[in-house]
Amino acid sequence: MTLETLNLILLGGIVLGALYALMATGLALVWTTLGIFNFAHGTFIALGAYIAWQIASTEASGAGLLAGAGISIIGMFVIGMFVYYLLIKPFERNPDIVVKSVITTLAGATILENVINLVWGPRNKQLSPLLGGDMSLLGITISRNEMAVVALALVILAALGVFLQRAPLGRAMRAVAQNREAAQLMGIDVERLYAIAFGLSAALAALAGILIGSIRFMNPSMGSDPLMKALIVVIFGGIARFTGPIYAAFIVGLLEAVMTYLVGLYWSPTVLFAIMIVVLVAKPEGLFGRYRKSV
Amino acid sequence: MRYSPSFARSSGLIPVLVVLAVLALVPLLSSSMYLRHLLVLAFVFGIVASSWDLSLGYGGLFNFAHVALFTIGTYAFGLVGQTLGLSPWLGIAFAGVAAGLVAALITLPILRLSGIYIILVTIAASQVLYQIIISQSDITGGTSGMVSLPALELFGYRFNRGGKVGYYYLALLMLVASTIILYKITRSRFGRAIVAMRDHKYYAISRGMSETRTRLFTLTVSAALSGVAGGFYGSYMRVASPDNFGLGLLGLLLSMLLLGGAGTIWGPILAAFFVTMVSEVFAAYGAWRNIIMSLLLIVILIFYPGGLWALLQTLREALDVARSQATARLRRRFGLGQREAMTGAHETMVATRHGRIAVADTGGDKPALLLIHGNSSAKEVFANQFKALRDRYRVISFDLPGHGVSDNADPEKDYSVEAFADVAEDVLKALSAANPFVFGWSLGGYIAIELAARDYPVRALAVSGTPPLRVVPEDVGRAYDATSHFVLASKTFLSPAESRDFAASTTGPKTAETIHLHRAVRRTDGRARAYTLGKLQIVDWPRQMRFLRSAAVPFAILNGSNDPFLNHQYFRDLKLEQWTGEPDDIQDGKHAPFLLKPAIFNEKLVAFLRAAETTSRHGADVVA
Repeated sequence: MTLETLNLILLGGIVLGALYALMATGLALVWTTLGIFNFAHGTFIALGAYIAWQIASTEASGAGLLAGAGISIIGMFVIGMFVYYLLIKPFERNPDIVVKSVITTLAGATILENVINLVWGPRNKQLSPLLGGDMSLLGITISRNEMAVVALALVILAALGVFLQRAPLGRAMRAVAQNREAAQLMGIDVERLYAIAFGLSAALAALAGILIGSIRFMNPSMGSDPLMKALIVVIFGGIARFTGPIYAAFIVGLLEAVMTYLVGLYWSPTVLFAIMIVVLVAKPEGLFGRYRKSV
Repeated sequence: MRYSPSFARSSGLIPVLVVLAVLALVPLLSSSMYLRHLLVLAFVFGIVASSWDLSLGYGGLFNFAHVALFTIGTYAFGLVGQTLGLSPWLGIAFAGVAAGLVAALITLPILRLSGIYIILVTIAASQVLYQIIISQSDITGGTSGMVSLPALELFGYRFNRGGKVGYYYLALLMLVASTIILYKITRSRFGRAIVAMRDHKYYAISRGMSETRTRLFTLTVSAALSGVAGGFYGSYMRVASPDNFGLGLLGLLLSMLLLGGAGTIWGPILAAFFVTMVSEVFAAYGAWRNIIMSLLLIVILIFYPGGLWALLQTLREALDVARSQATARLRRRFGLGQREAMTGAHETMVATRHGRIAVADTGGDKPALLLIHGNSSAKEVFANQFKALRDRYRVISFDLPGHGVSDNADPEKDYSVEAFADVAEDVLKALSAANPFVFGWSLGGYIAIELAARDYPVRALAVSGTPPLRVVPEDVGRAYDATSHFVLASKTFLSPAESRDFAASTTGPKTAETIHLHRAVRRTDGRARAYTLGKLQIVDWPRQMRFLRSAAVPFAILNGSNDPFLNHQYFRDLKLEQWTGEPDDIQDGKHAPFLLKPAIFNEKLVAFLRAAETTSRHGADVVA
């Protein structure tokens, strides 16, 4: 392996890691606050990308990528809240909400995916890149767009971290995640927070979708593979801390890049899932986790 | 207290036989291959969903690799039947073994996990299986799967000929077999261990159950059943597709399981038919079909959290209420002469706070004696007393709400010991029978004590088959012998066999004399049983006990010496002040001494009432 190949693998891993971090953080946000796993997250990614395409693409409205991204993120925030009220809230006090929410979010994913299919059709589409051209780094040439994706993801995650640590709303969200009853007694409107957490998670998914759409092709089921990867990442990193899934995302991204090089495209998911199972058995709370959960 | 009658005695027998007969006739009645194909799919999915229910519903283990194990069964069939070229029957058997073995492997990492973590690991495990399958493309055909798998053949009969009727019957047979296996398991020691491990894990462990063994057993067995179904599916569809590892089939089967109602076995089978048929109705709508089906699923889960099975129970209850009410109306109109001949008393309808009540009254201005019948019976149970005591007393009895020829009533409001005591008050008031003697049998005994304990003027109180309680439910366990028929007293739906059992153990085997009482059990509104006994906890038992201890009213207990429901020692330990000091049991009276030994019973009752007359006159003097 030459140094150049190594750098190529590393950079590929970092790009993947940045995308996974965005998706996994959204997923973890819902998991920690609501205690459920949202199987519609992958479809949120696709829907966000398609809404952005509808606004931005010259084949459709042609309002530019920035407008598309803005409207898509805001729109997905609203759709996420709507999905929470329709699919999760009715089962809130249900003893088997964990398994019921699996089927309702799966059903929600089916509905959204078919809606995407009906509205935009099954053909591949692509968003325009954030930045054009290539740049050279560490002796290899990479596209400026991919670098922009990594930078943007990191900025957004940092902003989210600050929001959760400092902003009153973010602190309330962490409080609910740690102890719902106590938070409620302190006057926090838990239901509204749940809806906001869901909306925020959907907005993060939309952003991830837009970034994916700018470096790869989009199709209605583009979210299912990232969803599985995000699942690995969340389990890998644990949900005890906000940063856990982010570290794990980069580890998984790099691992995947290395695996693809070493064992080939087919076997790398197998190895990843197998590693995940081993991690879960040895340390169910995740690599960076403690027993207490928090955002 | 355990009650698990054989399936032949349960009320499920007849509907199941009818449905099976209809399904068995389908290929003869309809030549539609398409209908048969849909039904075969429903049978297969029924097996997969109901076997999943064993681990998910009963065991509370969210094994989301179940559907992947079904697909493993399909591939195992392909491996044996096609790649190795062995008999396809062997392939189906191996499919079950393979799925069971893989399930045991998957169980190992989830032994220490619970809840959502099991979901995640098992989904990951099915992804691993998927990746392994598609990576071995020279054997499994990779992403395009295995095609033209061998069809089944038996004694030269080829299953894929003749409109695939053979597959239809084989699938039906497999569904029946798998259901029998699941039914037996859920009612066995292991089945109870599975549920115990779900509901009270640490208690179950402390009672010596092994969590490892239970989990391993649950997951392996349910996967093996699903794997056999997968093997069959492979021979029927003749392809093994890796797509079946995906979330699509998983969602479909999970929707069947939850739509049907988890933890019921029958519900998922029902939902397998429902989902297969309904989704076929929308087949012409293309992408809209998935949207409609998903919306339907969400709506049903929101409004019917218990699923189709719970919906079926609601329908059944409505039907049963209508049936019992219609029976009461019919008998009120046509059986009057017969009933009046039994009691020799005049029957009238009386409006009370809890509905219209049928009352039998011998009339006259003799001292009134009110007889209150027990659970799922009727006033005619006292026919002997009516005839023997009418010269001395004005004998009155009435059918409780929801019993005999009285109307059914609102279960929330009208079916409770307190409401029944209200009815007794209203009946006595309507007949202007003041200051009565009251005798109550079994549940009627509690009504009698309740009536007296609320300071309603009663001259004397006698009960039979009624242990006075101090605290419920603790004393119920002490006062009653937990025979299996005791459970029937609070069961909403009784099968024909069960109502025969109940009538036989409360009154006696079906003879010309007791046939009326056997019919009365069938007529009783099942909600009256369930609600009245369910609400026993909110009766003011301490007040009843205080009242009995105060000995303000002469009190007698006239039990049968061999009452199958009672713990006789409990009565002795109560040390209540009563007529003869010790409980005065009637030899061989069983649960209904007044019915089975009327002569001795009447003698004792009259002796008590006479003694009470003197004391109560004495008591009245004191008050004066």
